[in-house]
Amino acid sequence: MRYADFTPYDIVLLLQGLGVTLALFVGTTLIGLAIGLALAVAHHYRVPGCRPVIVLVTEALKNSPVLVQLFLVFFGIPAFLHIRMSPVEAATLTISLNTAAFAFVVFRSGIESIDRDQIEAAQVFGLSRSQILRLIIAPQAAAFSVGPLVGILVNQLQVTSLISVIGVFDLTKIGNILNLRTLQPFIVWAVIGLIYYLAAKTLAHAGGRIEAALRKSVKWGGI
Amino acid sequence: MIVAENVEKRFGDALVLKRVNLRVEPGEVVTILGASGSGKSTLIRCINGLEALSGGKITVDGHDVSTKAGLVAARRASATVFQLFNLYPHMTALGNITLAPIEVLKLPKAEAEARARALLDKVGLGAHAGAYPQQLSGGQRQRVGICRALAMQPRYLLLDEVTSALDPEMTGDVLRILAELADDGTTMVFVTHEIEFARHISSRIVFLEQGELIVDLPTAQFFAEDGGLAVPRIRQFLSKMKKD
Repeated sequence: MRYADFTPYDIVLLLQGLGVTLALFVGTTLIGLAIGLALAVAHHYRVPGCRPVIVLVTEALKNSPVLVQLFLVFFGIPAFLHIRMSPVEAATLTISLNTAAFAFVVFRSGIESIDRDQIEAAQVFGLSRSQILRLIIAPQAAAFSVGPLVGILVNQLQVTSLISVIGVFDLTKIGNILNLRTLQPFIVWAVIGLIYYLAAKTLAHAGGRIEAALRKSVKWGGI
Repeated sequence: MIVAENVEKRFGDALVLKRVNLRVEPGEVVTILGASGSGKSTLIRCINGLEALSGGKITVDGHDVSTKAGLVAARRASATVFQLFNLYPHMTALGNITLAPIEVLKLPKAEAEARARALLDKVGLGAHAGAYPQQLSGGQRQRVGICRALAMQPRYLLLDEVTSALDPEMTGDVLRILAELADDGTTMVFVTHEIEFARHISSRIVFLEQGELIVDLPTAQFFAEDGGLAVPRIRQFLSKMKKD
């Protein structure tokens, strides 16, 4: 076959794919964490009518395959609402919401791990809700949440590989292209797997450092 | 002045405070006695607004704690020391004490810290300003709790069984500080089982029985044969406390 061999340009292709994967991962992580945090705060403060909706939606997102969610968003919603949605938009929406559902659980647990006694003490000394959230709950909940969140995000990094099936040119899609061109699946998928592995290990290492820093700044041994 | 008028508190079907009336004048030390479950702590929690009233009214310096604005003003006038300290574990002793003065009273940080250090010195914890609650003993934590309350310069100090979680030696340390505060004229509402201490520092003693305030007498009269001791339930309670 004319294009069967690997070429130096394949490295550029792989880097492009990695760039798309990382960009989508970072973007969906930021959006997902923000939504997850907002849901946890709304849940904690019992915003009227929110609790059942939040629980229902997050349960649905956590307990159904991400690939099915992706198909629903990419094929189902545009057909139902008669709108157009690009693969990147569908991927961003799906993975952001999926991340938000898992982040919500971690943030909610972090918030609920704070003793009611501390919050009552802050209340009787006149601190407002936002001051209590910012100064009492957030620092302790953050230290509690970082470990589980890193685990979730490492998993979400792997989940991004699913977006290749709707045509996003991420790392997995590039792997598929190289595989079809070179017909050397062992080498291609070993290299792709190694890149995902290195990215995941880097993420876990960074998360571990953040966690250590947070726990260092909150020296108590309670959590 | 703290005024409770016909205060009722209900948890589900249980009525834990039954038309309680209480007045605490500035400069008084009022001790609330009663068996466990008699409603003592609930009354304190109603005064500081942690429990909503089911009936009646509580005012602190005329501010109705049932209203939002009134509660804010009432909480500025009073400060609470809790049985289990309720310190913020992620903050040092200094951080615990300065948080509310900085965030609520809007004191400059340097001024709040100077005030906090002076209080820590006063309770013998000057060297522990940078310690986290986990690094302190129970008695030390409670002294930090007292400093945290005093840093707000409250007109009224509400103390909810502040020595119950402490061993006798630590209890002595804390009671000594409270006695000094009483001598300084600090107004206190004090829930305790330390009968002898209450007798020593209180100007008045009230007795709650199953949510009802059955006796409100000056201390000397409370312990007199023809005063509080003439009430069989109080005599029984005091003799049981002495045995314990």
